[in-house]
Amino acid sequence: MSLQKDVWWAVARSEEVTSDKPLSVDIGDQPIVLWRDNHGIARALEDRCPHRRAPLSLGCIRDNGLIQCGYHGWSYDGETGRLKEIPNMKDQQKFPPVYKATAFAVSEQAGFVRVCLDPKAEAPASASPHYKYSGTANVSLRHQEYLDALYDDPSLLIAIRAVHFTPYLMSELHEQGGRLVMERSCQWKTPHWPAHFVAEFPLTLLTSTDPVSGETELTLRDDQAKELLHAVLAPVPAARGVTAVRWRAELGERHAGIRGALLRGSNPLSVLSSIDGTKLRTTKPTVSLHGEDLRAELRGATHDSSQPPVDRTVAA
Amino acid sequence: MLEVADRPLQTDESPTTRASTPISLNAINRWVPHDIVMRDSWFPVAHNYSVTGKPVRRAIYSHPIFLWREDGVVVASEFHPNERIARDKSVYTDVKGHYPTMEHYGVVWVWFGNPQAADPVHLPSLPFLPPKGGLPKHMTATVRFESSAPISLENLIDLTHADFLHADVVGDERSDSETVETFYDSETVTMVRTLVNKSVAPVMKFFSGIRQPTQNVRQVIRIYLRSHCAIAYGQFNPGDDVPLFHPCTPETRDRTRMEMVMNTSNAGLMFRHVMPKAGYKVSRQDSYMTSPQSPRYMRHTDRKDLHSKFDQAGQRYRMAMMELAERQEKGDFAYRDNVSADCSDIIGLRKELFQF
Ligand code: FES
Ligand SMILES: [Fe+2]
Repeated sequence: MSLQKDVWWAVARSEEVTSDKPLSVDIGDQPIVLWRDNHGIARALEDRCPHRRAPLSLGCIRDNGLIQCGYHGWSYDGETGRLKEIPNMKDQQKFPPVYKATAFAVSEQAGFVRVCLDPKAEAPASASPHYKYSGTANVSLRHQEYLDALYDDPSLLIAIRAVHFTPYLMSELHEQGGRLVMERSCQWKTPHWPAHFVAEFPLTLLTSTDPVSGETELTLRDDQAKELLHAVLAPVPAARGVTAVRWRAELGERHAGIRGALLRGSNPLSVLSSIDGTKLRTTKPTVSLHGEDLRAELRGATHDSSQPPVDRTVAA
Repeated sequence: MLEVADRPLQTDESPTTRASTPISLNAINRWVPHDIVMRDSWFPVAHNYSVTGKPVRRAIYSHPIFLWREDGVVVASEFHPNERIARDKSVYTDVKGHYPTMEHYGVVWVWFGNPQAADPVHLPSLPFLPPKGGLPKHMTATVRFESSAPISLENLIDLTHADFLHADVVGDERSDSETVETFYDSETVTMVRTLVNKSVAPVMKFFSGIRQPTQNVRQVIRIYLRSHCAIAYGQFNPGDDVPLFHPCTPETRDRTRMEMVMNTSNAGLMFRHVMPKAGYKVSRQDSYMTSPQSPRYMRHTDRKDLHSKFDQAGQRYRMAMMELAERQEKGDFAYRDNVSADCSDIIGLRKELFQF
């Protein structure tokens, strides 16, 4: 897929990025290594040592915050990617500027570490709060297909405890403030009439998607407009057509009664990492049918999709 | 000095000839070892004890080889004797589909190339192995790598990684001084690394009973380019003399077989038995890096690899391989240097320890 260089992808949750061990992630075919330096700042370099192309994620993080390649021990600075040290090279520890790994821009907010392939990109403005529950799922579905599935039948991808997603929409997918927004009717999972014959739905799931990154905010509301659950789902196109999904969620207001209690308790959201292929194949595209066009339109309005190809030797 | 400019390697220590077209430093820093296919060469394919009456399967650059013995003599054939033949014979074998083959140093060698050109004079010199073989089995091993043979050999000739990747076996990176010298001709590259007062390798502490905190180390790596095989010779003082035959036979362009022989006859009893086994551990550590590294060398990239002064030998290896490959590309398969001439002096072998 074509990856726009100026997108901030939520490639990790904050707690996944540590100074104990480098984390390997990818944006499309671009492998990236993440770690936290000695000031606690998240850093991102291309996961490829420019010496002999070994993955830097197989190395370690030194006390001084540099990442050290596990092969010959070259150490790099996370901010600039510059080579800082070669073991045993006592006479020379100043290196010409070309001695560097490719550095990417990093921004951390609301419990997500976001990376932009353009190192000069401006950090995005902070939006959502830091939600307490979180998780990571790698799904073997391409990024657009992931979004399509989310629009056509969210139960293919996620589950909210005690909640049943109906096929009935209260609002089709439309543009609102530059985002893709829709609202789906939901029921409690407790015994209920089949959705087709229900006069009033007790719940709705509101989704709002960034048309470029596909990052989606989910809000579960009851019929009194109480917001019961907030979540952010951040699907990132990863290697081999996999979509790496990081998510965070928080319970909102309390819905009265036993049903409201069911939703509470511990982590209310689960994001599936395996997809039922039969169910997926036979899920007819409905929302996604014009959703893809709408998304393309919104992206086209704000973004230029031309970009240089990634070095094809790195995908490995 | 770090070289970043586009110019050939300056350290031209060779006493012998130069190739006709010098290959630029840019080219070697962007080399694609996966594209290098060498021929007219003896490849070590099996320990002689593994070839019996029952055919065993090998390959060189994906060309099938079946090895078995008839009246004690090794046959290397393109076809399994029971095979229903549904493919054409290649140009690398005689009318019967047999490759030239020979046994020497306890290893079975197969000639890959023009069968008419096969000549024992092109067999690499391995003066620390008994010509007729016969070392005990525990000094041998088979190891496989999911990487291209030149990547494995580059790994071997660059010994700085050892202090790092193999620290638990060979000791850490601390020493008082380190020098690296490189010698080469059109068929070989030899590197000599000398370390003064290096921390003693943990394996030696345990199994050779070395009490001193440091030892002087002289390590030699000699690569026979065409055969993709190497000698790794370590002299440790105090300590042992451990010469190792380290072939990297390209069974395919990115899968490598190593029929290793380590002559530890001169070492202490424990060391003699344990050291060859250390090869398994060390090779897994190498593989941890070379497996992900190798596919990144399967296609051309415009980005140049960086290097330091410690990569002198590795850079030379790349250049020599590319020069040889370029000559073969033009149809020139002649040997300009003799690979079978005794290399004891070049590797500094303590001959008195290896009399056969
Ligand atoms: S490959 Fe990273 S230090 Fe050599
Ligand atoms: Fe190694």
